[in-house]
Amino acid sequence: MTIGSFILKNALRNKRRATLSVLSVAVSLFLLVTLLVALRELTIPPEDAGAALRVVVRSRISLANPLPARQRPIIERIPGVEAVSPFTWFGGNFKNEEGMTFAQFAMDPKLLRPIFGEAKMPEDQYEAFEKDQRSCILGKLTAEKYKLKVGDRITLASTIYPATLEFRIAGIYSGTIDDRNLLFHHKYFDEATGDLGQVGTWWVKVRSAEDMPRVTTAINAAFANSSSEVRAETERAFQLSFISMLGNVKLLVASISTVVVFTLILVTASTMSMAIRERFRELAVLKALGFRRRELFAFILAESFGLAVTGAVLGAGGAYFLYNYGNISKMTNGIFITFEVTPKIVGIAILVATGLGIVASIAPSISVARTSVVDGLKTLD
Amino acid sequence: MAEANIVTVRKLSKIYRQGDINVTALNQISLDIKTGEILTLMGPSGSGKTTLLHIIAGIDRPTSGECRVQDIDVTRLNESQLADWRNQNVGFVFQTFNLIPVLTAYENVELPLLLTRLGRKQRRHQVNTALELVGLGDRSHHLPRQLSGGQEQRVAIARALVTSPSLVVADEPTGNLDSHSAQEVLSILQSLSQSAGKTVIMVTHDPKAAAFGSRSIHLEKGELTN
Ligand SMILES: Nc1ncnc2c1ncn2[C@@H]1O[C@H](COP(=O)(O)OP(=O)(O)O)[C@@H](O)[C@H]1O
Ligand SMILES: [Mg+2]
Repeated sequence: MTIGSFILKNALRNKRRATLSVLSVAVSLFLLVTLLVALRELTIPPEDAGAALRVVVRSRISLANPLPARQRPIIERIPGVEAVSPFTWFGGNFKNEEGMTFAQFAMDPKLLRPIFGEAKMPEDQYEAFEKDQRSCILGKLTAEKYKLKVGDRITLASTIYPATLEFRIAGIYSGTIDDRNLLFHHKYFDEATGDLGQVGTWWVKVRSAEDMPRVTTAINAAFANSSSEVRAETERAFQLSFISMLGNVKLLVASISTVVVFTLILVTASTMSMAIRERFRELAVLKALGFRRRELFAFILAESFGLAVTGAVLGAGGAYFLYNYGNISKMTNGIFITFEVTPKIVGIAILVATGLGIVASIAPSISVARTSVVDGLKTLD
Repeated sequence: MAEANIVTVRKLSKIYRQGDINVTALNQISLDIKTGEILTLMGPSGSGKTTLLHIIAGIDRPTSGECRVQDIDVTRLNESQLADWRNQNVGFVFQTFNLIPVLTAYENVELPLLLTRLGRKQRRHQVNTALELVGLGDRSHHLPRQLSGGQEQRVAIARALVTSPSLVVADEPTGNLDSHSAQEVLSILQSLSQSAGKTVIMVTHDPKAAAFGSRSIHLEKGELTN
C-alpha cells in the first residue's frame, strides 16, 4: 500500500456518494463551461474592421418583412453614405440536405469590394463574378466542405420563393468572420422571382465611424411614417439583436454561472465534511499512530481535490470534446455557428475545480485540527 | 538494563475545567514502570486509568507534573515531535480495535510503517512477521468486517507491534471480547513482554486479565491506592 492508494481507498469507501459527488461536480462544470462559451459566443465582437462602418437596414416589423427596392436611392442620398447594396436571404437548400448548412444572399456584385472589403479573392474572380449574372461566389469553408471549386455548378432550391437557381462558381473568397456564405446577383434573383421589387435588407457602407450615429438616425427618419418603416443599426448591433434582450441575457448567464459555482461549493464542501466527520475516530487513530496534522490535511486535501478534479475532467472535458469536435450548428439548429471552448474557458474551469478542491477541504481540516486525539477517540462511529 | 525504569511519572496531575467546576482526573501521581513488565491498571470507572495511559503514551497532556519515557520528558515535546515519538516508541491497542474498515488486515498493519523510510520489501517482511506473531498470517487479505472480534483485536496488536515499539499501551483490550478471544489476546500480550522484552501497560476491569500481568496498580479518584 502507498499513501496514494490509501487516499484512494478512503475516497472510494462510500462508492455511491463518491459517484454522486463526482457527477454533481461534472454536471455543474459542464453547465458552467456551456454558459461561459455561450456568453462568449453571444458577445464576441465582429473582428473585421469593415463591420464597424456597416449599417444594416431592415424592416421595423421583423426581419422577415421585405423592404421596397425604391428605398435605395433615398438611402444613397443621405450624407455620409458611401454605398448601398440589397442583401436578400434566399434560403436555398443544397443537394436535398436537411436544413441549411450555409446562407445565400442576393446582392449587388459591384458593391462587393466597397461594402465587404474584407472578403478576399483574386482579381480575376472579382471580374468574373461581376460579368456573369448567373455566377456566384462562395466562402472558402463551404467550398472546402463540399469540395467545390471555381467553374463548378451549384443548384439551390429556395425554401421561401418558388425558385430554383443554378449558379456557376466564379470565385471563392476568404477573410470574413464567417467564410461560409454564398453571394450572387440580385438581378438574377429578381428575374427568377418575377421582379417583386423587394429586398430583404439594405447593407450600407458609411464614410467614417463618426458618421455612424447620424446616418442610422437619418435612415430611420427617412422612412418614418411610411408604409415600410425601417430599423437601421450597426452590423454589430444587428448581429447581437438576434438574441433578444442581450444585456439581460448576459446578466442572466453571469448570475446563473455564479449560482452554479456557489451551489457546487456548498454541495462539495458538505460532502467532504460529511465524509470526514464519519472518519473522525479513524483520523484520531491515525494521529495516535504518528500521523501529523499536516499529513491528515494532505489526505483531506487530496481527497477533496480528487473529487473536484475528476468531476472537472468529466464535465469540462466532456464539454470540450462535445463542443469542439461535435457539429454545434446542427445541435443548436444553427443558433450557434461556432461554440468554441477556448483555452481561457478551460482555464476558468480548472481554476474553479482547483478552488473547489481547496475550499471544500477547509472546514473538515479545521475540525480535524481542532479535535485532539483523545477527543477524536471518544467520538462514536 | 532489564531492571531499568522505562517510564517515570512524577507528581502528575490532570484537571479538567468544566465551567466553574474542576474535575481532577489524576491527582499528583508518581509511578515507575520497569522495562519488560506487564503493568495492569485497575480501578473503577472514572478513576483516571485512561487519562494516565493517554499521558504516558503521549496523546494527552497533563496539567502539571512530569512523565519521562526512556529519559524523554514527553510532556515537553511539541505536537509534531510527539507524533514522531509515538510512531517510533508506542504501540496502541484500543478496546474497540479501531481498524480502518476499508483496509485489509495487511494494510492496517502496514499503516504505521508508511511514516517510516522502510522500502516496500522491508515493510512486507515486518507486516508478515507481525501478523504471524498474532497467528493471522493467513488472514492478511481479509477486511476487518470479515474477521471476528478476537481476530480484529489481534490485527490491532500486530499494528501496534509492527514498528517494534518499546512500549505497548492497551486500554481494556478484552472489553469487547468473549472469554476465549480474551484469553488469546492476553496470551499474545504476555508473550510480547516475555519473549520480545516489550513493556505493556494495560487498563482492565477484569481481575482475570490482571492475572496475566506481572504487576497491578489500582487507581481510585485519580490517586494510586496500594
Ligand atoms: N474531556 C473531559 N472533560 C471533562 N472531564 C473528563 C474528560 N475526560 C475525562 N474526564 C473525567 O476524568 C475522569 C477520569 O476519566 P478516565 O480517565 O476516562 O477514567 P477511566 O478510564 O478510569 O474510566 C472522569 O471523572 C471523567 O469524567
Ligand atoms: Mg477508561
